[in-house]
Amino acid sequence: MPSQMSQDLPNERAQLRRMRYVSLLEGTTLIALVFGAVPLKHVMGYAVATTIMGPIHGMAFLFYIWMLIQTMSGGNWSTRDTARLIVGAVIPFGAFANERLLRRKEMRLGGKHDRTAS
Amino acid sequence: MMYLWLKAFHIAAAMIWIGGILVASIVIAALPAPSGPQSDTALRIVRAARQWDLWATLPAMLLVWALGLMLAMVGHWFPSPWLMLKLPGVLALSALHGVLSGTLRRRAGGGDQGPPPPALLRYAALIVPPLVLAIAILAVAKPL
Repeated sequence: MPSQMSQDLPNERAQLRRMRYVSLLEGTTLIALVFGAVPLKHVMGYAVATTIMGPIHGMAFLFYIWMLIQTMSGGNWSTRDTARLIVGAVIPFGAFANERLLRRKEMRLGGKHDRTAS
Repeated sequence: MMYLWLKAFHIAAAMIWIGGILVASIVIAALPAPSGPQSDTALRIVRAARQWDLWATLPAMLLVWALGLMLAMVGHWFPSPWLMLKLPGVLALSALHGVLSGTLRRRAGGGDQGPPPPALLRYAALIVPPLVLAIAILAVAKPL
């Protein structure tokens, strides 16, 4: 990140941390939907599983995209990183890869390594 | 009965959310260009707007989404044409809020603000009323 961020470091680190947590939430709900609710519906016949989990993941995904827009609106994000964060939201485990990218950016800004998010 | 309660809270949340979007758009339009330090007054105003955005507008937006989804499911409104037309409007408002929120966050940091936001952002307040009107017509009158 460029040097003009130097006065906003705590703000940027906090934003990256929030983005990480939302990324993990989105990834977790996608896994719960694809590997939990969908098999429950099609194998066990519990259609209510996807009725509940579907909207929850939908909300998490929407919020992830919203956080992405909010974070990008601060500027200084490359097209490559932006595209990676969007693609990571729609594939299983992709959000966890995004979380690693965001954690590396946070550490580059001088933040502590948050082991609880590993 | 539950449907009416959901609707009441959904509308209340939407009013707070739209109000917050308008506050953010007007504050950002009124700020000087982001080149160098801002005045203390400008910083106080933008930080107050940022706090409101974080603690009122954002939770209201999430409530609008959640309650709207619940209303659509309880009322069996999927895939009614009016709802399918309303949803892109809500998503557009949400995206606009995201951009405004991010800009507020950056401007609240003080000091050098980095690259300036898109010039069109200064006119964001003009986009909101017609979009809200279209959403209200679709949701209440359900012309389709």
